[in-house]
Amino acid sequence: MSADPGFWILQTLNALQLSMLLFLLSVGLTVIFGLMHFVNLAHGALYALGAYVAATFAGVAGYWAGFIAAPIAVAALGVLLYWGLIRRMRKSGPMSQVLVTFGLIFALLDLTRIVWGDIAIGIETPALLSGRVSLLGVDYPTYRLFVIVLGGVIFAALAVILSRTQIGAMIRAGVDNDDMAACLGINVEKMFFAVFCVGCALAGLAGAVAAPLLSVTPGMGLEILIPTLIVIVIGGLGSLQGAIAGSLIFGFVQTFGAVLAPQLSSVLIYALLALVLVTRPAGLFPAKGA
Amino acid sequence: MFRHNPLRYGTLALLFAGAVYAAFAAGYFGLEILIEILVLAMLVLAIDMVAGFGGMVSLCHGALLGVGAYAYSMLAVKAGVAAPVAMVSAIGITGALAWIIGAVCARTHGIYFIMATLAFGQMAYSYIFETPVFGGDDGLGGIPRLDLSAVGLDTMDSRTFALFALAALVLCYLFAVAVLRSGLGRSLVGVMQSEQRMRALGLVTWRVKADVFGLSGLIAGLAGAISAQHILYISPGLLNWTVSGEALVVVILGGLGTLVGPLVGAAAFVLLKHQVSEVTPYWHLVTGLILIAVVMSRANGIYGFIEDRFAGRLTAKARKSPDAAVPAKEAQNA
Amino acid sequence: MTTKAITALALAGGLTAHAAAAQDQIEVGLLLPYSGVYAALGNDIQAGFELGLETYGGEVDQTFNLHIEDTEVKPPVGLAKARKLALQDRVDVMVGVVSSAVLGAVSDIVAQMEVPLIVANAGNDEATGAACSPYITRLSFANSQVNRPMGEWLAGQGIETVYTIAPDYAAGRQQIGAFVEGFTEAGGEIVGSQWTPFQQTTDFGPYLTDAKSSGADAVYVFYAGGEAISFVKQYDSFGLKEDMPLYGAGFLTSPLYVNAEGPAAEGVIAALHYVPTIDNPENEKFVEAFRAKTERDPSEYAVHGYDAARALIEAVKTGATERSEIAAALSQVSFDGPRGALSIDPATNNIVQPIYVYETVAAEDGDGLTQKVLAQLDAEQMPPNGCEMKSIN
Repeated sequence: MSADPGFWILQTLNALQLSMLLFLLSVGLTVIFGLMHFVNLAHGALYALGAYVAATFAGVAGYWAGFIAAPIAVAALGVLLYWGLIRRMRKSGPMSQVLVTFGLIFALLDLTRIVWGDIAIGIETPALLSGRVSLLGVDYPTYRLFVIVLGGVIFAALAVILSRTQIGAMIRAGVDNDDMAACLGINVEKMFFAVFCVGCALAGLAGAVAAPLLSVTPGMGLEILIPTLIVIVIGGLGSLQGAIAGSLIFGFVQTFGAVLAPQLSSVLIYALLALVLVTRPAGLFPAKGA
Repeated sequence: MFRHNPLRYGTLALLFAGAVYAAFAAGYFGLEILIEILVLAMLVLAIDMVAGFGGMVSLCHGALLGVGAYAYSMLAVKAGVAAPVAMVSAIGITGALAWIIGAVCARTHGIYFIMATLAFGQMAYSYIFETPVFGGDDGLGGIPRLDLSAVGLDTMDSRTFALFALAALVLCYLFAVAVLRSGLGRSLVGVMQSEQRMRALGLVTWRVKADVFGLSGLIAGLAGAISAQHILYISPGLLNWTVSGEALVVVILGGLGTLVGPLVGAAAFVLLKHQVSEVTPYWHLVTGLILIAVVMSRANGIYGFIEDRFAGRLTAKARKSPDAAVPAKEAQNA
Repeated sequence: MTTKAITALALAGGLTAHAAAAQDQIEVGLLLPYSGVYAALGNDIQAGFELGLETYGGEVDQTFNLHIEDTEVKPPVGLAKARKLALQDRVDVMVGVVSSAVLGAVSDIVAQMEVPLIVANAGNDEATGAACSPYITRLSFANSQVNRPMGEWLAGQGIETVYTIAPDYAAGRQQIGAFVEGFTEAGGEIVGSQWTPFQQTTDFGPYLTDAKSSGADAVYVFYAGGEAISFVKQYDSFGLKEDMPLYGAGFLTSPLYVNAEGPAAEGVIAALHYVPTIDNPENEKFVEAFRAKTERDPSEYAVHGYDAARALIEAVKTGATERSEIAAALSQVSFDGPRGALSIDPATNNIVQPIYVYETVAAEDGDGLTQKVLAQLDAEQMPPNGCEMKSIN
């Protein structure tokens, strides 16, 4: 809309920030799917729960308390969900999983309403990250920069773990062919459990990170669900590259679409999704064997 | 292959009798609930057709109902077309759209298919929401009901309208049975069991899927037109994916792949929802827990469970879980 | 449904005899959202309504029996519940409706069934415009009503160029449209507008960046609920407030959730028909009573309920107890309430009320945020907007 380079730089940063937030959410979901072939629609609800827990802790002991507490709390819930539900549903087809997790969405939605009420809650960005930073000729909110950096760090960490460590190798083996991996002596069950909990923790972290930016409302889980699903389907289920690719595509299309072609912007992302599904049904970078 | 058995006949008779009784015995609000059940029943019939017999789990059928509703309303209100013509056109438009969606998504399976239908449903929702001529978020009112005064019936009377809706439902049911019993329907079940095999036999499988999807769209379109006539008002919320999600819940609650089960599910769900919401505003929680329980119990919904119990005495294949319809390999392919 | 009987306190001293046909109990249907995104608003309106009945119920003999129904913010559900209230519960009057979409669905049958409806929130202009009816009386606000005077006021403050942002749906367009009218007529210039996808936008970064590059003197927006919280916080995080102050329709910093916005909301100036810090004796009474009842400050939603109860009681005072009588009486209601002097304009059945321009500031005792009233803009009668008010039989 303008020739001002500052505008483009700012929008690029906005797009990156949105991408990183979605990445945090989608990476958990996609690895869970790639490894366990389990579709967890309730991931959005876990994100919302993370935000609420963070808000509660932040109100008492400051932002960083919430930042730490949220992933732990959601991972703990993940443990419960795994033992109670997921373990039994693992061998079921996608429809059962969709329905069980759909039911979970409903249940968790009302649970958050019961515990925290209907009124929206807000939390403040921590003092350390408030204000703006001068970067590339523009002033950009420090907190958003933090989100970008955090996303990048987690991506790098996961990439290293997956490609350089033994655990990573085992996970990749499990994604490729879990029966074979089990034959080779890998404790696939335990691995799935660990991956699931880490995925939940990441969702909780995403919620804690998003809370100062957006508002914490009961509907936030449902709001973020569709974008997350779009991200992982476009990117390809099961792979880290898929998650980051999908997130970046969504982030950029959404951000630039919103200001350059506002009439089309809502239809645009769905059209893109449909296009990808029709031409590359498995997504852009699916994990092998997924 | 869809067959009737004594239990199904019995259940259908019971439901029909119940509906007629309710139409005459219920008060004003009872009639509202009855019509709500009837419209939902049509929608879930359409979904069961494609999901239960074709393995195509669709999250866009709610949007299709919305398309039918908007098509009818736009034609009848904005274009001044006569109601019967508008209804038929709406049904046709929805069916055509459903065929296109089915054809485009036919290449995808499992979770990808679900996502693809979700994408299309949301596209329709966004489009209708954003386009001012449809009234946007405020919706559209002043919708006329089908004028049956020529046969001496006043559709503005709730009872008459409820019976009208019931007649439409019966029509849809017979239509669905006809489709499923036909060669096309049997091919569909074959495709669900093993697409590869059917292709090897020379079948153009995407066409089969698209055709049945389109036919189910006709039912959804009729449901939409009736829904618009019932409420006399439409808004984009009709097309949101959560509507399709809830409809899917009903199908599972009733019994996937039985055609009769979803009808039972529709009645049960609507009645349950109203009972629970009178007691607490947190009925989502109750619905969610019940859904989880039903799915985890591996029973094929309420009706499916009953039918399985009596499987020995009936001829129909016993279905063990919602996913017995989708072979494990197909599921893993996702 | 849960029915609550609220018994009126008998006035000490004689009560004048009313017409022999008067009922002793008025059936009131409350049609509000108790689940979904507006649940908090529904609860606030009910609390205000009940408080109003408690406070003023003693002025009439009749008792009020409440029938409470949840619209779930869905037009079909709202419609079904409205029918239930009118046909099955046989209420004499209905109060409520938060969402304009639900109001659109309900208004047709309200007129058809001839049941009076006191609108306690929904602001779409048509309800007292092209779709007006003698049975619909609005005690809340109309979308244009809140924003037009603000446009004039802003121009009067020396702001020359404005950039607008709002969600892309009917209410958003009406609110901004009215502002633009008022602002441009007073000599201002709109340099850019953005419409964000309604309830699908969580990140306003792109729009804020665009606003910044426009170089406008100020930014005017309409957002409510969760979107308002996100918007205000993000606006602050981009540091735009110093160069481009933020103005808006008061729902942006509504007392109901302004505390969730935190310090980011400080300095935001908005226009609304009610804030808890309005300085008049009625308001002081109301705020105190509301705090005692709910342990929170009243919001504009609560005052809608409160004034709706007051209006109903005023109508009943004139001897109206049947549906058509109540509807006719409601059109003539006027009183001094927490918002100031209120009256109903019989030409449109919309409320006539002053608008307050206020700034959100930190509370003196350090506990949260409060509103500092900067100006009171005169009550304006809304233009008929296509309303041809029919009379009641």
